[in-house]
Amino acid sequence: MRNRVWHVVWPYAVGGLLGVLALGPALAPGFTLAYDMVFVPEPVFLPSTFGLTGTLPRAVPSDAAVALLGTVLPGALVQKLILLSLFLIACGGAAALLDGRPAVVRLAAAVFYAWNPFVAERLLLGQWALLLGYAGLPWAVRAALDPRGLRWVWAFVPAAAGGFMAMIITALTVLPVAALGPGGRRALARVSLACVVFALPWLVPSLVRQAQVPSDAAGVAAFAARADTPLGGLGSLFTLSGVWNAEVVPPGLDPVLPSVLRLLVAVAAVAAFAVARPGGMHLPARAGLAVASAAGLVIASAGLTGPGRAVLVWLIDLWPGFAVVRDAQQYVAPLALLTALGVGGLAGLLAGSSRRARVPAGVLGVAAPLLLLPGLVWGAWGRLAAVDYPRDFERVREIVAADREQGDVLLLPWESYRAYAWNGGRSSLDPLPRYLTRHVVWNDAVRVASQAGDLVIGTEDPRARALDSLIRSAAPLAGPLRAAGFRFVVLDGDPREWNRFQSRLAGAAKVYSGPHAALYALSWKDAQVSRAP
Amino acid sequence: MRLLIAIVAGVVLAVGASVSVVTLAAPSPSPVDKPLFNYGTR
Repeated sequence: MRNRVWHVVWPYAVGGLLGVLALGPALAPGFTLAYDMVFVPEPVFLPSTFGLTGTLPRAVPSDAAVALLGTVLPGALVQKLILLSLFLIACGGAAALLDGRPAVVRLAAAVFYAWNPFVAERLLLGQWALLLGYAGLPWAVRAALDPRGLRWVWAFVPAAAGGFMAMIITALTVLPVAALGPGGRRALARVSLACVVFALPWLVPSLVRQAQVPSDAAGVAAFAARADTPLGGLGSLFTLSGVWNAEVVPPGLDPVLPSVLRLLVAVAAVAAFAVARPGGMHLPARAGLAVASAAGLVIASAGLTGPGRAVLVWLIDLWPGFAVVRDAQQYVAPLALLTALGVGGLAGLLAGSSRRARVPAGVLGVAAPLLLLPGLVWGAWGRLAAVDYPRDFERVREIVAADREQGDVLLLPWESYRAYAWNGGRSSLDPLPRYLTRHVVWNDAVRVASQAGDLVIGTEDPRARALDSLIRSAAPLAGPLRAAGFRFVVLDGDPREWNRFQSRLAGAAKVYSGPHAALYALSWKDAQVSRAP
Repeated sequence: MRLLIAIVAGVVLAVGASVSVVTLAAPSPSPVDKPLFNYGTR
């Protein structure tokens, strides 16, 4: 009985151990804000939570899932549970996909799948929602191989909760697996239906709004994969790195020796995936995963060359929906699963050479992924760390929540990302649109530094676009903003950046000011606001 | 039991070696100074 429990539990225990090792300081009290990852103390349901504000529904339904969990748990705990669950689901899934094979095979595959450059770079970029889909991938593949009854549908829940990119990498993987697996057309039909149904929360608002959202081809140059190792662009992608943002490359990734070792392991793992038969069985979903990985690698590498980028720009001009291939490194996710299974196969080959080799093979299976990617340890050496929100944010939230006047909130400075001093200078999406209890209009354009200068990917929110010229001008703001349906203006970030806006807010009442945030009310009942608790 | 030994030994070995590798490769792990409003750097 005890053995049976251990057999079920150990992959999750390993996942938990890796999660603690990777997240480290991010599990301390407080919130971890990193690039796209923003969690707040009391998340609320807002129109933006459901993709109803005219922008692309990038956080649908992940924000809704967070808000739902936030109704019963503190926001900080929700974040830590979600981040830890990525490692548990990934490890558990890889081991479950190899059910019936020797433990050493399952262990090596599980550890590699949860600890590789793809996970590290996307985690540091704060893309927990994408990683939910990634973590659920082995479960979805397992379900695609045998979609009988209804229990298999649960395998798609992580990707469904993660939203559009999580679901896209899942569909890219499971559709070939189902088509080329034992279930044939019937399995393909069922899995396709699951993909469509689980995509509806973001697919519907995307299709309804697509004509209104501009497609900015500048994103192709900004978000194309790049060489972040000495292996070049293709070599980086083949070894599961190559993210567009140089700031999220984990420390120690780019020296020559570990890069070459990762390449050797990747090549050996792909070979082992094709030929290894641990436990007397071939590795699962060989044909389907090979097709998905090859397709993913082609998409991911499209932006590495000038002609490839030109094709992507042409495609996006043709149909804005093709913008999903701009940040193309995400598409190596199926290759990560294939490589992990191959690493399991390698461990099986090593362990099968003699009885005495089993423990060393297991040690190597655990140690090798960590040694090949030491930079993920302890929140990538402090790049992920929990911090407390300034008291000013809570005060602004209280005032806005207590106010009874109708109207939205405008967020200034007119940028989407911040490098707060109180967050150690780390870049993060401004948390106030999720922190406050009203709809916040902000400039959702993003700015990416490059050798050719700043690349700016244009504003998508129609209300932000309508206000853009006003806010960039030197004209007074209070009157036009009041007429446009705004009740408050909130400023955050570096106070030195506030001066150029404060002088233009004549006619608005400053109802709160602190070192990290200031709040202005735009209508005449401001005295009531200033007395709010 | 053998699995447990493999997991513990693997993690201990890897963490120990990781410390030395990263210390050599990236002696200053603190976040670099970045512009105030950038999403990232290519």
